Amino acid sequence: MKSPAFITAILKKILHGCKAVSFAVAVCVLASAQSSPQIQLPEVHLDAAGLAPRPIEELTGTTIARHYALAWHDLAAALEFDRAEGLGEEFVGFARDRLIQRIGEQNQTGLHVHIADHGHHLKAVFYSSDGAAMQLLDQAQLEIQTFDGNKLIDTQSAPHEYIVLMTPGADRWYVRDLEEVSAKSF
Amino acid sequence: MLCVMPLWSQAAEMRVPAVVEAGQRFSISVGGSGQATFYLVGPDHVVKRTVSLGSDLQIASGDVRAAGRYQLILCDSSSCNSASFEVTAAAPAHLSFFLRPSRVPVSTPGSIDATAFAFDQYFNLVLTPAAVDFRITPQSGAGFSRRASTRDGVAWIRMDSTPHEGRVEVTAVAGKVEEARVIQQVAAEACGLRMKAVASGNDVTLETDPVRDCSGNALPDGTVVSFTKVDEAGKSTVDTPIKKGIARVQFSVRGRAQVSVACGVVLGNEVALTGKL
Repeated sequence: MKSPAFITAILKKILHGCKAVSFAVAVCVLASAQSSPQIQLPEVHLDAAGLAPRPIEELTGTTIARHYALAWHDLAAALEFDRAEGLGEEFVGFARDRLIQRIGEQNQTGLHVHIADHGHHLKAVFYSSDGAAMQLLDQAQLEIQTFDGNKLIDTQSAPHEYIVLMTPGADRWYVRDLEEVSAKSF
Repeated sequence: MLCVMPLWSQAAEMRVPAVVEAGQRFSISVGGSGQATFYLVGPDHVVKRTVSLGSDLQIASGDVRAAGRYQLILCDSSSCNSASFEVTAAAPAHLSFFLRPSRVPVSTPGSIDATAFAFDQYFNLVLTPAAVDFRITPQSGAGFSRRASTRDGVAWIRMDSTPHEGRVEVTAVAGKVEEARVIQQVAAEACGLRMKAVASGNDVTLETDPVRDCSGNALPDGTVVSFTKVDEAGKSTVDTPIKKGIARVQFSVRGRAQVSVACGVVLGNEVALTGKL
């Protein structure tokens, strides 16, 4: 098991490589929670070029990308095993309420969903001047399989687009709203 | 109202509207015969029921409250077909309105930010552009209004604080929805700070004129004014709060003395004194 320092060094290398003309952040491959076992996070690229009315700080961008990746990791696990407690602490507000309801109803109907997450391209579109909210658009590469019990009843592999509202907490950024939208929104 | 776009996507045996407004019931035309299992999977809702093929399936308003993409799946004994449709937010019914900061100095350019998120009655973010009026009502002086259009559900403006201190109410209005917030405008930095000296033996009492900002607003009681004296005994500074609009301090003076007054970053006049000791 790799140490947090090792993971940090890898993330720094990745971030260094991502510094281009526009500000971009990538949280890729492995990340380690401070005291928990390693978890495989989906790849998240954040593009914050031209963000208004407030520019984003690099550390904020890194944190947002990481917690968004964690959110999707938790979301996929919760929908697969129909366990609302698997949502962790990344979702709050409407997003959490809706997912908990969805998971409860999946449980009642015997459905579960497997998400193969091939990565997210996040574009930050609004960052309030007081730093209290950030809105992002996510182009996600997901393969979603729906099962009734053990029977596969549907597979979707088309790109998915989401509009996301994130707000900061004491030590993380929370997903407060997550709505799938049509591609024309981009 | 069935759907907002007369567009139909064709699944193998289902005719499904491409776009539906949140909370609007509609029906799906299903071909074939016999029975099948019908699934509706949405952002916050899952339905599973047995249906008869060859008839219309009714989707209740409560099944499509959350905006997002919904998956319809129909399985008979041999196979499954699926189709998807999008539920979009209804008209704005709630505004989540942030006004920052809560206290602001008067006449400060770009010091107030107003941000409004538009949600429909089911708390879906309304992505269709909508006009939001920000109505500003100062405690004194004429009110005014600024208009912004939502983009991806958010409208925001940045504006200057007005010249007079006091309560300012800002109301965000989108259609019939209103949400008000209040900020307090306070006096800005002191302006034209002046003091006068009244000698009494070896003591001198220094007293400012009423301390006001450049717009004539009185600085609040408690604001600190600093008096600095330099005489033969050296340099000493006394910080004293404004009381009833005026700051007052008493010094003992040894020989010739120079006294200056300051409030925040603003310097006032200087007074030369002569002590008897």
